Amino acid sequence: MDILELAQTRAEAAELYEAHTEALSVVFHGGEVEKVGSESILGRALRVVAGGRLGFASTAGGAPEALVEAALAAARHGDPAPFRFPPLREGPKVEAFDPAVARVAAEDLLAWGEEAVRAVQREFPEVVVNAYLSRTTTEVVIRNTAGGERREKRTALAFTLGVERVREGDIWLVYESQSVRRLADLRREGLVEKVLQKLRWGAEVVPPPAGKPPVLFLPSAVPVLLLPLTHGFSGLAVFLGTSPLRGRLGEKAFAAAFTLVDDGLIPFGPRARSFDDEGLPVGRLPLVEEGVVRNFFYDLRAAALSGAEPTGNGLRGGPFGEGGFRAPPGPAPRHLVIPPGEGALEELIRDTKEGLIVSEVIGLGQGNIQSGAFSNNVSVGFVVRDGRVVGRVKNTMIFGNAYEVLREGLRAVGGEAEWVGGGLFAPPLLVEGVSVVGR
Amino acid sequence: MEGTVRELVRRSRADYTEVRWEEVFRSRVVFQRDQLLALEATEERGGIVRALVNGAWGLAVFTHPEELPKKIEEAVQLARTASRHARDRVALAEVAPVEDRYQGRMGRDIRGVPLEEKRKLVEAYNRIILEFHPAIVSSSVRYADSLRRVIYANSEGTYIEQEVPDVTLMLAAVARKNGDVQQGFESLGFAGGFELALGHEEKARAAAQRAVDLLSAKPVKGGRYTVILDQDLAGVFIHEAFGHICEADFLLRNEPMRRVMTLGKRFGVETLNVVDDGFIPGARGNCPYDDEGVPRRRVYLIREGVLTGLLHSRATAKKLGAPPTGNARAVSWEHEPIVRMRNTFIEPGPHTFEEMLEGIEYGIYACGAFGGQTEFEQFTFSAAYGYEIVRGKIGAMVRDVVLTGNVFHTLRNIEMIGKDFQLKGSAGGCGKGGQWPLPITTGAPHVRVRDVIVGGR
Repeated sequence: MDILELAQTRAEAAELYEAHTEALSVVFHGGEVEKVGSESILGRALRVVAGGRLGFASTAGGAPEALVEAALAAARHGDPAPFRFPPLREGPKVEAFDPAVARVAAEDLLAWGEEAVRAVQREFPEVVVNAYLSRTTTEVVIRNTAGGERREKRTALAFTLGVERVREGDIWLVYESQSVRRLADLRREGLVEKVLQKLRWGAEVVPPPAGKPPVLFLPSAVPVLLLPLTHGFSGLAVFLGTSPLRGRLGEKAFAAAFTLVDDGLIPFGPRARSFDDEGLPVGRLPLVEEGVVRNFFYDLRAAALSGAEPTGNGLRGGPFGEGGFRAPPGPAPRHLVIPPGEGALEELIRDTKEGLIVSEVIGLGQGNIQSGAFSNNVSVGFVVRDGRVVGRVKNTMIFGNAYEVLREGLRAVGGEAEWVGGGLFAPPLLVEGVSVVGR
Repeated sequence: MEGTVRELVRRSRADYTEVRWEEVFRSRVVFQRDQLLALEATEERGGIVRALVNGAWGLAVFTHPEELPKKIEEAVQLARTASRHARDRVALAEVAPVEDRYQGRMGRDIRGVPLEEKRKLVEAYNRIILEFHPAIVSSSVRYADSLRRVIYANSEGTYIEQEVPDVTLMLAAVARKNGDVQQGFESLGFAGGFELALGHEEKARAAAQRAVDLLSAKPVKGGRYTVILDQDLAGVFIHEAFGHICEADFLLRNEPMRRVMTLGKRFGVETLNVVDDGFIPGARGNCPYDDEGVPRRRVYLIREGVLTGLLHSRATAKKLGAPPTGNARAVSWEHEPIVRMRNTFIEPGPHTFEEMLEGIEYGIYACGAFGGQTEFEQFTFSAAYGYEIVRGKIGAMVRDVVLTGNVFHTLRNIEMIGKDFQLKGSAGGCGKGGQWPLPITTGAPHVRVRDVIVGGR
């Protein structure tokens, strides 16, 4: 018997989420092919409302009857469901499937990896090169007892290139990664070129500028500033009172130059999908317009608790990661977009007398995220003097508060945005008010 | 499953084949403020095949047991494809075949505890936190348990069944004053039964008290200080900053790094001893056999200040000419085993806490771990809270204490090691290569380090 039908015989309402993933991946370690792997996983999650109470259960490889029993058992001890499953209707289609990705074979991934590894080794023969490539096809089906079904195949192609440079008393890791839904969007040469650029810039180790110098966050480091905001704009955090933005809709909480949009409608964006993990159509939601707080994002639960409209932001998993079937949906952004301003990266650098460029950090997300505090070790960062990159930093910390920096310290928004971290489209940001501590 | 698995790995045409099939019971209860965000008890099943052909690995992950024969064939094919591109071939260190069954002890079997009882426990802790003080605006209380039943068989004749229980509890309080939000938490993790989740009311109060106290604590002033790490933070330090670079997969094809990590090299003071142990009764990092079927070995990473050992899988052991240590672990059936830590700690030393305070004009006492991350020699970790040390006395509470530095310098800068050892499991776990959270413990006594960079305003 069908799982949803089975659940319906025992509960007032139910929702079944199924994700069938087929993936192929290749790992290069120390310039060498180490393994090729395949993955075929059918994950399921069932939510029920029984006796007015909400229950959830998830499984892979488990029997359908057991899943239904587990969800019903959870409902027996659960809390009243604050929301109802809505009828699932067709919405705008957001392209997320590329048959060319589905056709990528292990040999293709191996050839691309070898090509990248060799390109790095040609210029820097002494470094250790690691690479990870994967292609994934996921078919997601969501059905609920209010009626309707949403079904979609999505493809993903990921390429991470990492380089370790080890010298006595100095170990350095540089990496770049790309995650795309469409084969034509994969920029293999661009990825290699970025890694090479960093290795060239980082030939010398120089002391960081001390105090609170201008700091240029490259797109790859913009998550340092945006991760606290993914919490702050979550409708659930606002409801629970842990968001510093609670009660501040319409208030100018950020610099006028700062605009932030949660845009679910970008075709083939790295997190593109026609519907969220609760089956609601995605949309485009301005979060900050010229510094003014405009909206928070909601899943069904947070919307019902807050008396707000759901925004199609019910996603499984964290703010920048693809969720799995095990996580119940919660409010998360689809694509966070900072619209580009003006000026190429070279110009931003040229206009800086003395400053720090931050490209990668370690410790992202550690510390008191809720308050906006960030404190990170700059693992890939460069010093600018008189408009020129003079070398990289080592043993250097940056420290500040994202809300304060984006309100008081935003000096320039670069003109060239890039996809980073799986769902963020951001240009470089030049800011002040970040403490830099180094030895 | 046992008969099929044994037969199929034996018949495989690869040079080496292994199958790991897991059946996992798991449950969790999550409250945030008054909201029950998760309540679930369920089972899942899945498996992974690894095949080695001409020195290259092929892997296949699957969820339908009847697909096993097909998946073995698929893994062999993928290994063959990989081997056409491989130059530096993987080989495995010898391990005697083992037949064994291991069952982790649970006082009260987590599977037999009604979900209602788990919910009531979490709700009670949650109430303690929420009612503690008017400044407490929210909470996050999480209970999670699992029993991982693993069948492992390889083509060399090893067959092992293991049942590994895991119980974790996170007690976090959020306090707010004038737009400032602070968090206090206690994080606990055990290998055992439901009884271990009981009786932590004091911890819940401590978490709430800390969140409230942090509202009036001043941010630490950035700079370089002599720092005393409490047992929690010193344990996280040794795991994050040092343990990870002892994982030999990282050294496998990295000549320069291997020179840095040469056995016999001095890394710290005579009183510094660092151990990774695969079995300590009740400890969350326990791993009697790893996910390559290798029996555990206790490893001294540092003995009397000198590097004496590394952590190995069979492949790294072969390459570096060392005995396998039983450190190849996988976080679940979706993943292959990679070199990981288990229970990792600094052994106790000669000093009392009072001796450590002596002679510090101005320093920081850093306590608890919010999180930590390492990238080779560079590490950064956030203390949950801290205190000033002024003229040898503990002073005012400080917050936003983030420590960073170079692990080799920091190990050399360890001046004193305390007597007051403590081993601790936490509610999180270790992350590496996309595999998170792996159950581990960390341990240490108080440790005094000079010249540590502390981030601050």
